[in-house]
Amino acid sequence: MTTEKSNMIEFRDVHKYYGDYHALRGINATIRAGEFFSLLGPSGCGKTTLLRTIAGFEDISSGAVMIDGKNMANVPANVRPTNMVFQSYAIFPHLTVEENVGFGLRRDPRSKEEKAMAVAEALEMVGLKGYGKRAAHALSGGQRQRVALARALILKPKVLLLDEPLSALDKKMREQMQVELIKLQRQVGITFILVTHDQEEALVMSDRIAVMFEGQIAQLADPETLYRRPASRKVADFIGTMNFLPAQILSDSGATVEVEAAGFGRMSLSPDQVMGSPSAEGATIGLRPETLTILFEGQAATDREVLGTVEEVVYYGDMTYYDVKLDGASSPMRLSMRNVPGRPVLDRGAKARLGWSPGAVVLFR
Amino acid sequence: MSKNPSLKIYAIAYLIFLYAPIALLPVFAFNDSRVIAFPLAGFTTNWFAEMWADNQLFKAFRNSLTIATTSAVIATALGIFAARASTRYKFPGKGGVLGLIMLPMVLPEMIISMSLLVVLIAVGVPLSIFTIILGHVLICTPFAVAILTSAFQSLDRSLEEAAYDLGESPASTFRLIILPLVMPGIISSLLICFTISLDEFIIAYFLGGNQSVLSVYIFGQFRFPAKVPAVMALGFVLVCISVCLLTIAEYFRRRGIAKTGGKDTGGFL
Amino acid sequence: MEPGSTPGRFRNSEAANGLFMVSPPAIYAVLLLAAPLIAMVLYSLMVDSKVGLSSGLTFDNYLKVWTGRIDQALMIRSLTVSAMVTLVTVLLAYPVAYFVSFHVKPEKKSMWLFLITIPFWTSYLIRVFLWKVILGYNGVINSGLMSIGIIDEPLTIINYSLGSMIMTLAHAYAAFAILPIFVSLEKIDRSFLEAGQDLGESKFRTFIRVTLPLSMPGVIAAVLIVFIPTIGDYVTPELIGGGKLPMIANRIEAIMLKQNDKALGSAIAMTAMLIVALVSIVFILLNRRFLRGQSK
Repeated sequence: MTTEKSNMIEFRDVHKYYGDYHALRGINATIRAGEFFSLLGPSGCGKTTLLRTIAGFEDISSGAVMIDGKNMANVPANVRPTNMVFQSYAIFPHLTVEENVGFGLRRDPRSKEEKAMAVAEALEMVGLKGYGKRAAHALSGGQRQRVALARALILKPKVLLLDEPLSALDKKMREQMQVELIKLQRQVGITFILVTHDQEEALVMSDRIAVMFEGQIAQLADPETLYRRPASRKVADFIGTMNFLPAQILSDSGATVEVEAAGFGRMSLSPDQVMGSPSAEGATIGLRPETLTILFEGQAATDREVLGTVEEVVYYGDMTYYDVKLDGASSPMRLSMRNVPGRPVLDRGAKARLGWSPGAVVLFR
Repeated sequence: MSKNPSLKIYAIAYLIFLYAPIALLPVFAFNDSRVIAFPLAGFTTNWFAEMWADNQLFKAFRNSLTIATTSAVIATALGIFAARASTRYKFPGKGGVLGLIMLPMVLPEMIISMSLLVVLIAVGVPLSIFTIILGHVLICTPFAVAILTSAFQSLDRSLEEAAYDLGESPASTFRLIILPLVMPGIISSLLICFTISLDEFIIAYFLGGNQSVLSVYIFGQFRFPAKVPAVMALGFVLVCISVCLLTIAEYFRRRGIAKTGGKDTGGFL
Repeated sequence: MEPGSTPGRFRNSEAANGLFMVSPPAIYAVLLLAAPLIAMVLYSLMVDSKVGLSSGLTFDNYLKVWTGRIDQALMIRSLTVSAMVTLVTVLLAYPVAYFVSFHVKPEKKSMWLFLITIPFWTSYLIRVFLWKVILGYNGVINSGLMSIGIIDEPLTIINYSLGSMIMTLAHAYAAFAILPIFVSLEKIDRSFLEAGQDLGESKFRTFIRVTLPLSMPGVIAAVLIVFIPTIGDYVTPELIGGGKLPMIANRIEAIMLKQNDKALGSAIAMTAMLIVALVSIVFILLNRRFLRGQSK
């Protein structure tokens, strides 16, 4: 991977209206060359619309979309340096696998033999060597997906756009394709932009993720930052699970923020743990389930410790989820424990000591 | 759901009711008697010979072929435009425009032919094969639109976008992707429009002037009881042709559905 | 930027492309359908005399048509025949559509539909003519019954009667009625019916309370699709009715072409269109009520 990354895509205050409906509400973002970028959000958030503005299938109402430094206004889809893998794959049903993959080479000046070589190479790259003569409509979902990839990549686009490419596959196939897509992206080094509503998929595959709600980017960050330091309660809720607890801000010196929350007591947080700007609404602290640990007999807390009562136990095989009501707090906290050999599963009603660390806390103002 | 034998018996009886009159065609087409009545008089192929020898029939048949072919081609071409517009674009007045195009489907043919006749006479267009074609295109187009709309609808919009994305122009996308995929719909539209035009009587009767076509010829023969057996023979031939055309149309319709990976919802209409 | 005020280049071009795309069939329909119909409306408001059409507009033709005894009788006969045909066709067709939709295996459904539609696509004239042959004085039924000795003299009630006209038309439009009913039955979610029976309803009650109301839009479509062409039928009154029982279409021809009174003929045609439109509107409103009743 390259270390010095230039900007491949740049959105400058992009707005999109469908009649009165405001689908994109001022998108400003840059996507770097060679990165695996994801647009993540619930359905209707505008992620697919944004992707289609890059491909040229949607005109924007105002603002600018730049690809590799060039403004794409008035550049139609068929001459843009992008190619797309469609959600339905859009494999041409009346053509063979070969004809599908080689479709974009029709205007290519290369000789027939060279083109056939390119098609064979592309098929091999996606693991479909020898499938060239098959009828496209006779393929399985996973194979169609690969044909769609080969067909798009054979044109060596600057950007590959993937519109929910894995949503039609079953869970196992999806996980396998996730790994293959990452490998493929590293191999070809092209900028991949993936649209997905599956937060796990986005976390697994992406270098960076833009989380979108209602036509706006709520947060743009790498997966770890997004998970550990979500910019808002909404982002935190969309990506994984988070416990929220009302909190009181005692002091804010700029360097540290003193907070008190029922059950947890006082804690001081560094500025990178504090999200949003001060508001009249009450503050909330958030804790991921795995940052709370049950301390079994003889175990000491690494940082701080609170007491509570187990209210609910959900056993998942590899994990156990607990709802624990802290002494002094009103609502229970969800926490997860890995089931390792020798570790007991607590019963409902059991008393538990919980270890936690202020460093894992996020404060939303 | 349990089997209900009485319902099945009724359905079969209904099919017999539908087919019984048609079944009489071969019976009397090969019956050696000028009178269409029981008991049957013996086997003959005379009526086919008599039909074959009739020059007027050939002339009418040639006219009908010209009209049906031309009307089918024009109506299908117009149908492609309408179906494409209705499935792909949003535009002001869409409902009204498409409603007008589909209107002949729910208008008595007598009113269509009379209104056309009045205008043609007023404008001074002489009645001929051409005027029949004008009328037939009008009544065939709604059927073409209906068939082609379902063909265009079963096309995944992203196929078009994919071709465009891979560097093709809108025109070449239409030629390379859309046209091959809706071709079965086009063929079945052509065949059905052809059948409708061939069968149509009122417009052909009133807008044809002194040009005879097949349906008008048949209608004329009904006045002569002696000609009835030959008409039965002709009817038998026509039914065979229709069944062949329909079978081909149905084959292409199903193939079209299979090709685009859609689900068969049955029926032509 | 104001939403709506600048809908964007794409939407504008989409509307323009759509209008461009639809223009060939639209222009054709305007020139050869809308314009002639408008001309007919104008004709119907004039007076046709030997010297030519008058320039002033008048409702005299309509008055003549609506109060004339012959025309009234004709309208009533046409309405009776097409109403009877519609009733018979739809009643006979419903069980068949129900059978194909509920009792035929999915892979065999299109075969059944194909069988049902084939007779519909064979020559209409020939089919009407066959009924004449079947029902005529020396026809198939009479000669058949006489040859096996059930009757001694030909039955006369079956030829040149309203009954035989209704029979002929009901046969001709059978497929027209089955298809829309079948389509509406196919759309019914089968779990509704199971739910009905699960709640302790008998099969018959489930049919009356669930299936029948849900298939009503198809029944109404069938009614319209049969009623409209039958009321304007020309061939059957001519052949089966022997010209003695003319309907609207025959009357239009007689006035327009034989008496050469285009104004009066146009008024009759427009009146027929008005009747068709009124009946259609009534049934479309009924359909709306059914749909609204369902969504509640």
